[in-house]
Amino acid sequence: MKKLVAILAVLALAMPVLALAQTDTAQKEFVVYSNKNARNNHYIPSGWMGDTGDIKMNDQSADNPKNGATSIQFIYSAKKTQGQGWAGVYWQNPANNWGNKKGGFDLTGMNKLTFWARGAKGGEVLQKVMVGGIKGTYPDTATVEVGPIELTENWKQYTVNLTGLDLSYINGGFGWATTSDLNPDGATFYIDDIKFEVDPALKPEGKKQEAMPFYIYSDRSTPRNHFIPSGWMGDYGDVKYDGASKEDPYLGDSCIKIIYNGQRAQGSGWAGIFWQNPANNWGTVDAGFDLSKATKLTFWARGAKGGERIEEFKVGGIMGEFSDSDSVVIGPVLLDKEWKQYSIDLKGKDMSYIIGGFCWSANVDNNPEGATFYLDEIKFE
Amino acid sequence: MSIITLKALLSIWMRLSLNKASLQLRDGSQHKACLSGRRTKVSPYRGRFKIGLRTVPIICIVFLFFLSGCKQEPRVYVKHFKNKDYQLRVDGRPYIVKGVCYSPIPIGKNHEYDWWSDPGKPWLVDGKLMQEMGINTIRLYQAHDDIEKVKMVVGDLYEKYGIRTILGSWLGFWEYPCPFYGDKKFRDRVKQEVADMVNSLKDEPGILLWVLGNENNYSCLGHVNPWSSEEIDREPDPQKQKNMRAEIYYSFVNEIAEELHRIDPNHPVALGNGELVGLEYANKFAPKVDLVACIIYRGKTFGNLFRSLRATFDKPVLISEFGADCYDAYSKKEDQNMQAFFLESQWRQIYENLAGNKNGAGNCLGGTMFEWTDEWWKHNPDDPAGWGGHDKASNWTNGSYYYDIKVEGNKNMNEEWFGIVALSPGPASELDIRSPRKAYYVIREFWKKPDLNNRKKKVKTR
Repeated sequence: MKKLVAILAVLALAMPVLALAQTDTAQKEFVVYSNKNARNNHYIPSGWMGDTGDIKMNDQSADNPKNGATSIQFIYSAKKTQGQGWAGVYWQNPANNWGNKKGGFDLTGMNKLTFWARGAKGGEVLQKVMVGGIKGTYPDTATVEVGPIELTENWKQYTVNLTGLDLSYINGGFGWATTSDLNPDGATFYIDDIKFEVDPALKPEGKKQEAMPFYIYSDRSTPRNHFIPSGWMGDYGDVKYDGASKEDPYLGDSCIKIIYNGQRAQGSGWAGIFWQNPANNWGTVDAGFDLSKATKLTFWARGAKGGERIEEFKVGGIMGEFSDSDSVVIGPVLLDKEWKQYSIDLKGKDMSYIIGGFCWSANVDNNPEGATFYLDEIKFE
Repeated sequence: MSIITLKALLSIWMRLSLNKASLQLRDGSQHKACLSGRRTKVSPYRGRFKIGLRTVPIICIVFLFFLSGCKQEPRVYVKHFKNKDYQLRVDGRPYIVKGVCYSPIPIGKNHEYDWWSDPGKPWLVDGKLMQEMGINTIRLYQAHDDIEKVKMVVGDLYEKYGIRTILGSWLGFWEYPCPFYGDKKFRDRVKQEVADMVNSLKDEPGILLWVLGNENNYSCLGHVNPWSSEEIDREPDPQKQKNMRAEIYYSFVNEIAEELHRIDPNHPVALGNGELVGLEYANKFAPKVDLVACIIYRGKTFGNLFRSLRATFDKPVLISEFGADCYDAYSKKEDQNMQAFFLESQWRQIYENLAGNKNGAGNCLGGTMFEWTDEWWKHNPDDPAGWGGHDKASNWTNGSYYYDIKVEGNKNMNEEWFGIVALSPGPASELDIRSPRKAYYVIREFWKKPDLNNRKKKVKTR
């Protein structure tokens, strides 16, 4: 009898914990954050990334919350405190879990995440918001990124479609990231009521054909930009990238300046950068864009002196578990000192799945003194 | 007019003639005796034809005259259907190239080893294993100088195992210091060498087709074995230089293809090409080639290759080199499952794009996977000390073989581990022991029953 009582007592204590670890499929919503200290908050905004010194968080801001008494205020200074040029925050369970310990929740049955957000002034840009995507020993079972998002002055609800995804282990419940390029003067914004929900009417999000023109780079601080110049190759130590150069942009207030010094930092004798979606996706993440409507990619380029030789400009061609659907290359190209438009013909090519939107590569053999060059207005048309 | 059609016409005519002959001999009877001895009903044309035995030779002469005016089908050719699909035909029948690249270098030797003269005749052992697997074709990159040895290998494989040979030529690509495609003397010499080879071997029944070059197109970009000419050097624009080299190279291939068609109308001529690079120039300057033989290493998929080819150079394609190594550079151990997974996926795509598959591009003729046996000399070709060891190091990277791409430096391609069949040292003076890997059995089963709706099936890789 004593044994039975003991077992029942243990079960009674364990049940709430077990119940917490797995959502009830009948449950209609699962809250990430509702209000400061709310009992139904399940994740902690502990995963600060990039220029963490640029972030200030007030998780009990009473300044016009969307619901309840508080919302979370973020102030991003864009000062590049850690020299990264970007910053972000992940909501994790348990706190600071970068996949090194077991945690998270089984969110099977949920099929969307919603949140409310607003900017202090309007026009603040989140490069992306994320659900899942934390790697490590205990990786999340799904990765979804949505963005960029240009915030409005008033509260607006945003939805991330998760239909059809494996949500059986989600440690990174929600996250945001942005860059100093997108917010050169910083950004103050508010987030409220983040939660997973069940929406039986929602269907899996197929890749939609993107409308043209589709920009890779327009100007430094515009949400129209797509793809991230994250795929540094070869002698990456030889390359300096400035995505906000003011040195005679072709159009708008900024252009891209690239300095390749040809010092063979990694011993390769060449270097290049791929613009990827998401960042650092070498075909490992099922993402990218359907650019089937594009018939060409155009961009403007010039050399600092003229005569700089770029071996290749390229669209697509990333090969991995999730490879680009095609690849088109032009080059070698000798740059002029003046801006000149170049075009990569995409007619007849399969642009339905592109994770590597644009790429350049140069080598030291043809640029013994290195090369400084500028790019602007890179877009699919 | 096809041989089959002619045979059918001849057969009908013979029956008709013999029936009439019988009628003349046995006029009035209800039945006649054919040469076969069978009894058949009287022809319904009885009495309407006035053909006697004496007229048969005249008809024969007229018919032979008719025959001489008909174009005879080549022994091997590419059929182009109305729906634009392409299909390889051998002796009038569809032929899917189920092939393998063959270079049986034994352990301890390098590429200079003369395996054609090996007293152990490795092709006999290999041919039997290949036949059991279902292989119907081997690809040889270059013929031996002694054409009799080539005839022996090609003949043995065909006569004993029914395996045909695709024979290639490097087109002088590996000559030192570099191929001089801009030099007429060089071109004339190479062209003559290829013509001599084809002249000597064109009547071998085991020959399937000819391949001109391999990845020579990369030299036009200067990526490998760069070459130039005075005219090209005078051009300051590197893009135009590339165009000029491509025009010279593909025009040269076209010239050889034209010559080979003249010498040997019975076998197609393929353009060997690395990836699809430069084929927009081939479209302009090499229209005489019958097909493209592409070297493709894109992991589990060929991507948009087949449809892309339709847009740039609408010729049938043989995937003449593809495959996967079986060494996991990340886990540092052999992984036969990984190799089998990639190969099966690649063969599935090849089959999806054969003629007649409405979901594919219909322009694939088959493939020759790389390669039959491991080659233990490849990682360090210049160091004889390394030829006797199975080197696990890698010197190139390819992200589409993603299982082991996380290895330090991303060098995941293990050049000495591409064999469908593993080698291990045999008794002294005997051939190395051949041990089929998992891919051997997986592909054998796929060929027996190609399952094109099996995308979700995965071979366990860990």
